[in-house]
Amino acid sequence: MNNISEYKKIRRTGILPGCLAGGILAALVPVLELAVRWERYADISRPPLQIILEADWQMMAMLNMLLVTTIACMMYHTEYADNAIRRIITLPVREEEVFFKKTLLLSVMCMSVLIIEALSLTFCTLRWFGGENGAYVKFYADSFKAPYMEFVKDLFQNFGYFFCMLLPAAAVSLLFASACRNMWICLGIDVVCIFMATMIPMKNFVLSIFPFALPFRILEGGKAVASLSSLAAAAVEILLVFAAEIIFLKVRRSLA
Amino acid sequence: MNIIETHNLTKTYAGFTAVSDLNLHIPKGTVYGFLGPNGAGKSTTMKMFLGLTKPTAGDFVIDGKRYPKDRIQILTEVGSFIETPAFYGNLTGEENLDIVRRILCLPKSAVDDALKLVGLTQWKKRLAGKYSLGMKQRLGLASALIGRPPILILDEPTNGLDPVGIHEIRTLIRSLPDRFDCTVLVSSHLLTEIELTADNVGILNRGRLLFEGTLEELKQRAEENGYPADKLEDTFLTMIEEDNMQRGGVQ
Repeated sequence: MNNISEYKKIRRTGILPGCLAGGILAALVPVLELAVRWERYADISRPPLQIILEADWQMMAMLNMLLVTTIACMMYHTEYADNAIRRIITLPVREEEVFFKKTLLLSVMCMSVLIIEALSLTFCTLRWFGGENGAYVKFYADSFKAPYMEFVKDLFQNFGYFFCMLLPAAAVSLLFASACRNMWICLGIDVVCIFMATMIPMKNFVLSIFPFALPFRILEGGKAVASLSSLAAAAVEILLVFAAEIIFLKVRRSLA
Repeated sequence: MNIIETHNLTKTYAGFTAVSDLNLHIPKGTVYGFLGPNGAGKSTTMKMFLGLTKPTAGDFVIDGKRYPKDRIQILTEVGSFIETPAFYGNLTGEENLDIVRRILCLPKSAVDDALKLVGLTQWKKRLAGKYSLGMKQRLGLASALIGRPPILILDEPTNGLDPVGIHEIRTLIRSLPDRFDCTVLVSSHLLTEIELTADNVGILNRGRLLFEGTLEELKQRAEENGYPADKLEDTFLTMIEEDNMQRGGVQ
């Protein structure tokens, strides 16, 4: 199926403006935090990104998750609301393909949200930590390369990691959404999963790789290498979700 | 030559048999009317052809392709409209057809062509969710006709249409084999509709095929069995009534 079809299906659903608004809302969290109580972080001797993320990422991740799960539910709601999915599956296209394309589209939207947030963090770093004795200068100015290069590398590393951590939750949300004709059921399940994830102790690795808990993680010590295990877990989870969707669709078809 | 053939096709739902040992023979290039009262198994049979429901037993061949092995190839050749119109309510009629066009890899002109065929060109920019029932029905038909598939499966396509719309769609269905060289399987419980459009009919009652053949053959059979043969409606009703009596007295 043409890749653009999935994008066309979400026209006039409010998903795209909602995605943009959700990204801006999450991006406002660090801006507001620093605008209100910047003094609290002024003397901390750590890279600025680490300071901001440790202070605000939990809230930003929560907003991201709520946004992504809502979008996932709405994407399948457009299929079920007026029975469009029934027409689609009588066309020469596999239902699994529809799921993969939706996952791809949702991934692009996750990326857009994270880009907005990355821009916000850049603004915060330069605005509040970019002064003469600020953390930005302290941690990046003496680097061999230009300071901004080091900062951008850090930013990419962090947000690349966040993107990878967000994908399993997005895929699981789509899996639930594809299984439920009633949007409120899958949305309810997703919200319960998100709140459950907030109660999971991050020190326990097995529990912390619960798909809805992964997006709350930040790079340990700011280094990607230290988080290879969670990246591997995310990759395995995505593959498992794809396998689960294929099995689910086969079973549903055979029971129809 | 038969373009659709079923062999002892059966569908059972938790002890209830919706379709029982069905052996259909649909000749190529004809309009085949699938007649039966509500719950006779017409829609279930059509759903099996489209892979929406899995047969419990038996199999079928569509244009030489066997289900389930060739499901995707079968769907490439079949345009369908099952039960109620299925569409994206947030998209316009034109955009809905464009989605189908992209999946079928058809040229852009196919959308306008289909809209014109069902008389929906004027309302193509309106959201499908805001269409009247008749317009939704036409959109469903346009979606089935887009790309002019060699086989059309239409389940009660005139539901919700006004008399003018019924006449238009009936004329369109009747003309399809000659215009586009296609075969049409159309189900209905409206006898006059089938009488005016179909070359062949299959009468289904409680999952079982009571008759298959041309309208002439049906008249002949009715005369042989002493059923009223002047009107299709009377023949049909007597046939159904007698079958119900034979199978446990349900009227």
